[in-house]
Amino acid sequence: MNTSVQPQPPKWADQLLEWFCAPQLLEEIQGDLYERYYKQVQEKGKPAADKAYIYCVLSFIRPFTLKRNPPPYPSPNFTDMFRNYLTIAFRNMKRNKVFSFIHVAGLSVGLACCMLIFLYTKDEVSFDRFHEKKNHIFRIGVNNRNNEGEVHKIGSTNMIVGPSFKEEIPEIETYVRMSSGMYIVKANNAFFNQEIVWVDPDFFSVFSFPLVEGNPANVLSHINSVVITEEMAYNYFGTTKVLGKTIELEMRDQFELFTISGVAKNTPQNSSIQFSLVFPYQYLAQKFPDPEWLGFYINTFIVLHPQADYRKVIPKLDQVYLSKASDEIKRAQQQGYKGSIHFMLQPLLEIHLDTEYGDIRNGLQNDSDPIYSYILSGIAIFILLMACINFINLTTAHSLKRSKEIGIRKVVGGNRQQLIYQFLSESFWYSFIAFVLAILLVNLAMPLFNELANKRLSFTYLFDFSLVAAYIGLFLLTSLIAGFYPAFVLSGFKPVQTLYKRYSFNGKNFLTRTLVVVQFSLAAFLIMITIVVYSQFDFLTNKDLGYNDERLVRVHLGRGDHRELIDLFKNELAKEASIERVATKDGGQNFTLGKVNDKEIYFAFSRIDENFLPTLQIPLVKGRNFSKDFPGDGENSIMVNESFVKEAGWKDPIGKTVFNVNGNEKNMTVIGVVKDYHFLSLKEKIQPQLFRTGSGELWIKVKPDQIPYALQTIEKIYRKLVPFRPYEYAFMDEVNRKNYEAEEKWKQIITAAAILSIFVSCIGLFGLTMLSTERRTKEIGIRKVFGASSGQIATLLSTQFLKMVLLSFILAIPAAWYISHSWLENFAYQIDVSWWIFTLAGILVLLIALFTVSFQAIKASLIDPAKSLRNE
Amino acid sequence: MKRTYLGEFEEVVLLIVAVLNNQAYGLAITEELEKQTGRSVSLSAVHAALQRLEEKGFVNSRMGGATQERGGRRKRFFTVSVAGNRALQEIQEVRMHLWGMIPKTS
Repeated sequence: MNTSVQPQPPKWADQLLEWFCAPQLLEEIQGDLYERYYKQVQEKGKPAADKAYIYCVLSFIRPFTLKRNPPPYPSPNFTDMFRNYLTIAFRNMKRNKVFSFIHVAGLSVGLACCMLIFLYTKDEVSFDRFHEKKNHIFRIGVNNRNNEGEVHKIGSTNMIVGPSFKEEIPEIETYVRMSSGMYIVKANNAFFNQEIVWVDPDFFSVFSFPLVEGNPANVLSHINSVVITEEMAYNYFGTTKVLGKTIELEMRDQFELFTISGVAKNTPQNSSIQFSLVFPYQYLAQKFPDPEWLGFYINTFIVLHPQADYRKVIPKLDQVYLSKASDEIKRAQQQGYKGSIHFMLQPLLEIHLDTEYGDIRNGLQNDSDPIYSYILSGIAIFILLMACINFINLTTAHSLKRSKEIGIRKVVGGNRQQLIYQFLSESFWYSFIAFVLAILLVNLAMPLFNELANKRLSFTYLFDFSLVAAYIGLFLLTSLIAGFYPAFVLSGFKPVQTLYKRYSFNGKNFLTRTLVVVQFSLAAFLIMITIVVYSQFDFLTNKDLGYNDERLVRVHLGRGDHRELIDLFKNELAKEASIERVATKDGGQNFTLGKVNDKEIYFAFSRIDENFLPTLQIPLVKGRNFSKDFPGDGENSIMVNESFVKEAGWKDPIGKTVFNVNGNEKNMTVIGVVKDYHFLSLKEKIQPQLFRTGSGELWIKVKPDQIPYALQTIEKIYRKLVPFRPYEYAFMDEVNRKNYEAEEKWKQIITAAAILSIFVSCIGLFGLTMLSTERRTKEIGIRKVFGASSGQIATLLSTQFLKMVLLSFILAIPAAWYISHSWLENFAYQIDVSWWIFTLAGILVLLIALFTVSFQAIKASLIDPAKSLRNE
Repeated sequence: MKRTYLGEFEEVVLLIVAVLNNQAYGLAITEELEKQTGRSVSLSAVHAALQRLEEKGFVNSRMGGATQERGGRRKRFFTVSVAGNRALQEIQEVRMHLWGMIPKTS
């Protein structure tokens, strides 16, 4: 029979068999299959034979046929050896409890830090990614060049921008304007002070915020509709079934009715847009129409066509602006406007980590500086690195004790590769335990970390696929880094030398020392920074502000001038024994431009009454305070601060005039000069400040020892006089402290980092001293026999390590000096980085190191020499 | 040393190897087995059993020459080893002994 005419079995089945079948079995099996196939072709025909052939090939997929690499040595096989490595590792671990503790504690702290940072970073980059149209949504921003030629990048726009651009530029599908503010809300017969958001009707179709009730397309189409989050619905009505219920909103002392047309899920924590009550922007646009282009106070988002390139849209924005706003620009230029405006588009996904157009207002929140991510990751990697250094140092140093084991393994035939496997598997084992502990630590530290990082992360976030992958990667990397060096050094030991005990580390000490110095430099660096941050914080919170903020309660009365209400208040409060003084000042900080002898001055502008300066104990330098005895004060008298006088270049300020104060187009006469006080945070210099008469918020000085009673009294009077407004008050010293919340956070973060790093490096040092004293037990014994005192021996053992610590301290100084200087430059008022900070840090590091080292040194020096020498 | 256990299927395969006397290879054993016992046996099961028997040392094997009807592939011929022979005999004896112990009840 000719082979070419012989029928062939299905080729793929044959290839499958060849692929999975072990080579030594292939020939006989394939032979049998072919033989049967030819028989069956003749008996039953080709199709049936093919089918049988395929079935038969498939039935051969069983363990014995599958391709396996035959082991080069019949025994012991790899799994047995691996089990042996683990056993040895486990025994070692049990025998050297201190080292195991150091390895595991250090690694788990380092791993836990890294895990938390992964979580943090993951959260940071996931911001706003849940919006389906995320790649086509942009915020309009403005590069505003002012008269002086300075460019300010502003993330805000105004009412007219959105509709005008949409009308003229075909790439723009739709726009959403967004504005927010504090309003008084009446719901279910109760009053709340509530931040609300105004948006255009497309809001819920542009952004993917799911609605529980209501249709995203038309939920805000009615001008008196409102969308409420589940959380707020529950707060106001005790249920989320609130469709059709009404909410009242205070607008200019009247309450307007809005009907709930939708219920939204609570905004996710990783969203830049945060809302609880959403009202139609149309309402604002109708009530307060504003056709001006040259003012920036709301957010405008646009959605571009998916095919549109936003870079090509940007120039069109300026074209539209120049043609539509030409009249307005001309008018402004006639009044002396020399600036210019360029419009920009900022992708939605960049808002969260943007530091340029950082306008986080009008419903946007949670912006963050990527520098936080960098610094936090840096610290976490520091700590993990220190733990790895400990592992390397201790394993290498400790290996002298294990040199016999290595020698014997080699003599009985273990090759270098196997030893490398052994030590790597040991480091995997330690890392694994540390990893499990780290997960527990992360769980424990989560609330604290959330507090520090200003997040709402939860443990369940850990079970995210990419994070789990990253953690496993981290685990593998850690165990490799920690185990790599020891594995290669130890596996290189020569059996003859180790077995005859002639082996000692001569070259190795250099590496150990370098690593210890690196470790302690990092720790010393962090401690120095911590001290700098602490002293600056102390300086900020304790500096004399130029006024007395103790027992000063600020009571909010809403917007506008409440002259009559305040007079009523003052009368009521005057009757109370627990109240020392009452003053009034407008809320917030307003800045404005004024003219002094044709020179423009930019200054802070406040409306106060005659009680304000005495209540805050701010002295007057020249002239007089406002007074009821001068009825003209309300019309054309002002006071200025010293900085204003300096800026204006006046020699004798009393009687000088300032023109156009906050738009009243009048000359105002200076009647007094107020001593400079810090009305802004200490991050800024004292600005020129100008005072007119007026009112706004109540500033109440409470008598000492009567604070709780006074607060009750104020609340009682408030409820009587303004029944419809929620009562809000704040202590001024607390308000001032809030200015430094970011610094407070940094203080805590740096402290935690410093403590952790000093902990990790000290346990490492502890282990090293322990080893070196153990190794020198006999030497110590002999020295004692020859009459050395315990003190001498302790010194002998400690000096080497203390020298290293001293060196690392010196190395850390320049870096710490540089970093603290650049940090302190953010503050207008700052401490000097003086020598004592470094000295203190140095003494601290030395003391901690000394304590760590001396524990072992003293223990070793007290051992009876008879015992340590007995075994020779 | 622990006695190596011989499974029922393995025992039958081993017997067929003995029966076929120097002509025992995978397919021949399968066909003979089907013919003698009337049960349908898959080729892979027989190969697996032969593999196990060889591991246990009950059979020896050698490769035969290439033949045309197998697409040029060689056959692996199996023969019963001494240990295999002894194992079969032991099983036989145990069975005979047990048969002899059955009381005559009829």
